[in-house]
Amino acid sequence: MNKALLLTKSNLRKNRGTSIGLFLLMLIATSLIGVSLLIFFDCYPTVRKTAERLNSGDGFLQIYGGVDGFTDEKIDEIIGSETDDYYIYRNLSYRNLPLTFGEGKVITGFVCVDDSSAFSREMNRFEVVNEDTSITENYIYLPFQFNTSGGFETGDTFEFEYTGKKHSYTVRGFVDCIYGGCNNTGCFELLLDDESFEKLWDEAHDANENIVIIYDLKEGVNLGHFNINTTSEFLKINPYAQVFSDTLDSVVSNRTFIGLIIAVSILVLTSLIVVAVAMMLANCISNYIQENMKTLGALKAIGYTGRDIKASLVIWFMSLACVSSLIGIFVSYLFMPLFAGIMIGQMGLSYSVSFNAMATLIPFGYVVLFTLIVTLIASGKISKIQPIVALREGIESHNFKKNHVALDKTSMSLNMSLAMKTFFGNMKQNVITFFVVGFMVFACIISLLMYENFSRKPKLDILTTELCAGVVACDLETKDEMRDYLESRNDITNVREIINLDFYYNDEVKLFSYVVKDTSKMNNKSLCYKGRLPGHDNEVAVSGAFAKAYGFEIGDEIKLDYGDNSYNYLITGFIQTTNNAGREALLTYEAADHVIGTDNIPGWFWFDMVDEDEDFNANADTLETILDDIKEDYGDHIVGTMNFYEMIGGSMTTFKSISAMMLILMITISVIVIALILFLLIKSLIYHKRKDYGIYKALGYTSGSLMLQTALSFMPAVIASIIVFSIGSYYGANPYMSTFMRAFGLMKCRFDIPVAGVVIIGVGLAIVSFVLAILQTRRIKKIEAYNMLIAD
Amino acid sequence: MKNIIETKKLCKTFSNGGIQQHVLKNIDLEIYEGDFTIIMGASGAGKSTLLYSLSGMDKPTLGSVSFDGTEITKMSTDELAIFRRSNCGFVFQQVYLVESMSVLDNIMAAGLLVYRDKKVLAKKAGEILKAVDIDEPLWGKFPAQISGGEAQRVGIARALINDPKLVFADEPTGALNSQTGKAVLDTLTKFNEKGQSIVMVTHDITSARRGNRILYVKDGEIAGECKLGKYVTGDKERHQKLNDFLAKMGW
Ligand SMILES: Nc1ncnc2c1ncn2[C@@H]1O[C@H](COP(=O)(O)OP(=O)(O)OP(=O)(O)O)[C@@H](O)[C@H]1O
Ligand SMILES: [Mg+2]
Repeated sequence: MNKALLLTKSNLRKNRGTSIGLFLLMLIATSLIGVSLLIFFDCYPTVRKTAERLNSGDGFLQIYGGVDGFTDEKIDEIIGSETDDYYIYRNLSYRNLPLTFGEGKVITGFVCVDDSSAFSREMNRFEVVNEDTSITENYIYLPFQFNTSGGFETGDTFEFEYTGKKHSYTVRGFVDCIYGGCNNTGCFELLLDDESFEKLWDEAHDANENIVIIYDLKEGVNLGHFNINTTSEFLKINPYAQVFSDTLDSVVSNRTFIGLIIAVSILVLTSLIVVAVAMMLANCISNYIQENMKTLGALKAIGYTGRDIKASLVIWFMSLACVSSLIGIFVSYLFMPLFAGIMIGQMGLSYSVSFNAMATLIPFGYVVLFTLIVTLIASGKISKIQPIVALREGIESHNFKKNHVALDKTSMSLNMSLAMKTFFGNMKQNVITFFVVGFMVFACIISLLMYENFSRKPKLDILTTELCAGVVACDLETKDEMRDYLESRNDITNVREIINLDFYYNDEVKLFSYVVKDTSKMNNKSLCYKGRLPGHDNEVAVSGAFAKAYGFEIGDEIKLDYGDNSYNYLITGFIQTTNNAGREALLTYEAADHVIGTDNIPGWFWFDMVDEDEDFNANADTLETILDDIKEDYGDHIVGTMNFYEMIGGSMTTFKSISAMMLILMITISVIVIALILFLLIKSLIYHKRKDYGIYKALGYTSGSLMLQTALSFMPAVIASIIVFSIGSYYGANPYMSTFMRAFGLMKCRFDIPVAGVVIIGVGLAIVSFVLAILQTRRIKKIEAYNMLIAD
Repeated sequence: MKNIIETKKLCKTFSNGGIQQHVLKNIDLEIYEGDFTIIMGASGAGKSTLLYSLSGMDKPTLGSVSFDGTEITKMSTDELAIFRRSNCGFVFQQVYLVESMSVLDNIMAAGLLVYRDKKVLAKKAGEILKAVDIDEPLWGKFPAQISGGEAQRVGIARALINDPKLVFADEPTGALNSQTGKAVLDTLTKFNEKGQSIVMVTHDITSARRGNRILYVKDGEIAGECKLGKYVTGDKERHQKLNDFLAKMGW
């Protein structure tokens, strides 16, 4: 057998514990990289793959409100030349219809209702995910998300209420559908049995008929242009029509937003673990060289070259890396369904894990390559070993400069002072402990932040541009009266006028715009992260993501269109938003007056509630009674109302479970990683100090006190690390989060980090580290003074 | 004469790969207060094994050891450790100082197990170090920075710091040359003269002369015993008596 292989075998046998420890660390790293890459490369593309299968085209247009005059021929005239293919169908559509979802209600832009032809139509088909075919009448199919996050099962009763009329159906199954399957896309699509649909159609088509056009654009046609041009052409056919459009791209990004955040945070945690593994690996190799100096010298003396010995180390650690990363990848596939469950909740599409070459090869290659490089660098010392010197001196002679913690002077207890002696004598151990514990503290605090801001006290600023409790829209006639009325009510406060209008930039980019009467009344104080909100009639604030994409700076002029009018505005600030693909703008009523007569806009009143509760659902109920009360007073003049608590309650459901799980996952992994690192460090510490432990035992030290000393010697590094990294993470987490939330439109995060939570994590990790250290020092019990004295 | 240790049918058996080796066989033995007891015997006879069984460092297989009236054979490992702190001092052939601690701290680390008052202890440690001829400039040094003889005297100081009832020494001069060895033996003799009871295992007649009672171990038993009386330099008759005894034992 090859010399190097022979050596490797004996190394593996003699260093079993170390090998297992490193093996597990590499396994954790690979499986985490595997999981995040599976999300990137497999789970995330599911939306596109499904869209292809369901033939959902490049986007859709929807005509609603006034559908008269829209014959297929007319539509073809308008879009025929620019599309490769299109498909027109008619169904029912309800605007701002609240649907029961999870713990609350969810309101999207509109809810479409189809009949069974949706399963077989040429484009934008529905596909059954699961169903109970024993249900044969008065049934409904819901988007899959109602099953995964919305708490519905087949056989449940599903109800919705529209203009006071209640509709009730039995849930027969759940479907995959691209444009209307997710609470982040602005639309839900439901499917009724043909009989029920017909009944509903007869009842509602006068007011709710909806024309949907799914299209595939010709090569070279600009999507933005197409939507704008078609919309204005449509409005020429029927000026009462409301046209809504959305694209596959924006649906895909809305559906995968959370998945990407998770994947990125797992990758970050993993990269920290990889650094920890690298440090550990280097440490193990340098320990190995130190512990085996004599053997290595002897090997060299009998003719092994430095290269043979290095090769044996490379084989040793590479075989560990290969096997552990293979198993790690397997584990990532094993655990993926768990993560997929969360992703599905947010994507609202069925997904099953399949083999993915990228997600398999990258983690494997990464860990193996990393191991190779670290091993080669760390084993460089071997070539320098002189056989004679090594044989004679054995373990490098100690180089003591200072007697730390002189026992005759210190005021510490005996155990403590001996622990401190160990602490000062093992700086390498301290550095590793410091960084590993610190990395884990950081990872835990980031997940704490996510838990706090997405789950416990949802930071709604990131979900919506402006926060309020409710909105009441009334007709033009009652606008002034309504303002006074609302302001006089003492259960609501901060009444402000805000209306959403679509402005366009350069004929192609739609900017979802907030037209605000008085910006100082706005609740979302972190909205404008750079510059200031507009005040004058020539000013506008645009979203940072938009500005970045189109090269705008504060102070630049921007020409915005509304309908046929346009005006040059001055950009005063950047706002941040995760909605509308980060394309938003904000301006005052006076500014909007340049392109649209705001006096002719109906009243849109946003307000907050006076008695706000901690509980979303309680708030939703209170607000509902307030809204009912307002409706009672103004009946017919009310165009629409919105209950934000209800809406947020629904869309928070997915965030909640994800962030809670991330927190648990991160803490678990942190504890495991700390346990493994402590295991390796303590093992080698005890090995190095085994003679000292024998002497101490002979002198009358008990195993318990030696264990305590050893565990205590790790604590200064643990505690220092916890303090430094807790404070660092506390101040650094927001800038850090900003760097990757930027991709989602959130430019400058101001997440809350609860100090109590940080303290709990810090104290918790300190206690856990101490307990783990004590557990791992148990091997000191096995050292017998007597054996040490007889040996030698 | 008062005995400190009394063993009854002390047996120690090692099993090496299934083969039972009876190293100590039914030893009945007493060690007396104030004595400088010497244990001699051929290599592998079981001297060290006996020494460590007597001192509670190792547990015998059968039989009992009582130390100052207390039976120690039934104690747990931790109880034995605590028992050793104030009752036994050890001097080893390899010295076994903790390399990462200064000379003074090596003594303090043993002393602090018994003494709570650091000031009193530090003063006492200083006195004992001076008594074994280790002067102050050496106290701050590390074991690797002092000579073998000095290290062994530090070892003796450490053994004495807690005023043990008995000091156990296993070939304390084994690794030293005759001159430094003599200094170590002189130190031990000096403390014995002050009343310190000592049990010392040795291979070497010069060392054995220091004792007033010589036990000879052979095949796991005490083959013979020789009483010499107080050690005096140049006592020919005393030397002769020891030589005769050892010759009879087959030395
Ligand atoms: N822990 C042990 N396990 C197995 N056998 C042992 C053990 N300790 C000692 N022995 C055996 O017991 C016998 C006596 O050993 P011991 O060390 O007591 O001899 P000794 O008289 O001190 O010899 P030396 O003069 O060489 O130090 C030896 O044969 C030794 O191999
Ligand atoms: Mg021996």
